[in-house]
Amino acid sequence: MIENIEFEQKTDEELVEIILENQSAFSQLVNRYREKLLRYIRRISGVSLEESEDMLQNIFIKAYLNLNDFDNGLKFSSWIYRIAHNEVIDNYRKRQARPQLLDIDIKDSQIKELAGSTDLLEELARQELKQEIRIAISKINYKYQEIIILKYIEEKDYQEISDIIKKPLGTVASRMNKAKAELKKVLRTSRKI
Amino acid sequence: MEKEKFNKEILEKIQELKIKPRARWHFLLKNYAIWISGILALLVGAASFSVIIYLSSYNDFAIRQDIHKSLGEMLLLTLPYFWLIFLGFFMFIVYYNLKHTKTGYRYSVGLIVFITVGASIFLGGIFFAAGLGQELDEVFGKNMPLYSEMVNPHMDFWSNPEDGRLIGILVAQNNEDSFILFDKNRQEWTILIRGNSFISVPTANQPLRLIGEKKSDNTFEVFKILPMTPGHGFFKKANNGQHRRY
Repeated sequence: MIENIEFEQKTDEELVEIILENQSAFSQLVNRYREKLLRYIRRISGVSLEESEDMLQNIFIKAYLNLNDFDNGLKFSSWIYRIAHNEVIDNYRKRQARPQLLDIDIKDSQIKELAGSTDLLEELARQELKQEIRIAISKINYKYQEIIILKYIEEKDYQEISDIIKKPLGTVASRMNKAKAELKKVLRTSRKI
Repeated sequence: MEKEKFNKEILEKIQELKIKPRARWHFLLKNYAIWISGILALLVGAASFSVIIYLSSYNDFAIRQDIHKSLGEMLLLTLPYFWLIFLGFFMFIVYYNLKHTKTGYRYSVGLIVFITVGASIFLGGIFFAAGLGQELDEVFGKNMPLYSEMVNPHMDFWSNPEDGRLIGILVAQNNEDSFILFDKNRQEWTILIRGNSFISVPTANQPLRLIGEKKSDNTFEVFKILPMTPGHGFFKKANNGQHRRY
């Protein structure tokens, strides 16, 4: 119990060092990321809760296996999100199918930011927009879906997104612009604005 | 699934499968392997580039009007395709390895291509200045099968007596106006000198390039005699050394 309290006060990066000596500390990392990663997997893959949990288990086992590959030049959260991103892509390849509707829970603040960035705030009522954005995101190209989700739903900055999807910052920025344009196009088409 | 249950399952699975974090050396080794193979590929690519500079510096630009119909034809016939493909292949390996270093993904394709090409050109220039281009051409000429067909396009281009071009090694001087030459296929030629044909005065056992006119199956009248630098090693091959009997 005392050990757990001590672990709670450590940063992710410090915790990694401890886990390499003491396996039980790994549960602290699992606690920190279980909910976040489960939501992220469901948001970008749209698979069932059961399948998401299986993927999540693989993600944590891969993270544990590769702990010595983590270096402090990167945020731990970016590193473990990258493992999750790769796991979802591997899962796609195995299933050879992409989801039709994503499980995206969007907060009002995120709606405001996303709608503002696509110049749609004044055109659409916010309550209606929430559902429409959810559907629109699931309709756009997968590489754009993920970048929108990482930026506006997971609230990652460009550097973190670059580290998660392993693309240069310039590519992240241009992909973001294209994603917003595609999202706007889908929203406009659906509303016939 | 409940949080506690999920944590327990993961830890149990780790223990059950006896999973342990892979050793740090495993990742370091992979990282070093990427860097070392990238550096080796860069060195090989740069060496290829030094041969390209060497071959290109003897592409006879000054006498192109005597031997080529146009600049385009000259480039088409004398570009060192073998070395360009070799260079391209190794530059791709450098690019691939840079992209697959730990932080390689952070750099744009354009920047990595620029670094790869720039480093190959810079190092290739240094290697050329140090004489590596000539050295490699000689070694390849001496030892590599199909050298004259594939590696050095000048060899085939100059082995065309019907079009007034001939290469070979001077084996004996008959008199002031004629000498004996063995071409790259070991055929003996009597070379007739017309006027002052020498750009440089040839000596025995020297590989030469001749511009002139074929007079008969084994007689060639020469207007211009040029030294041969790329391909020099080819005539040092044991099986091309019949001149030693003279």
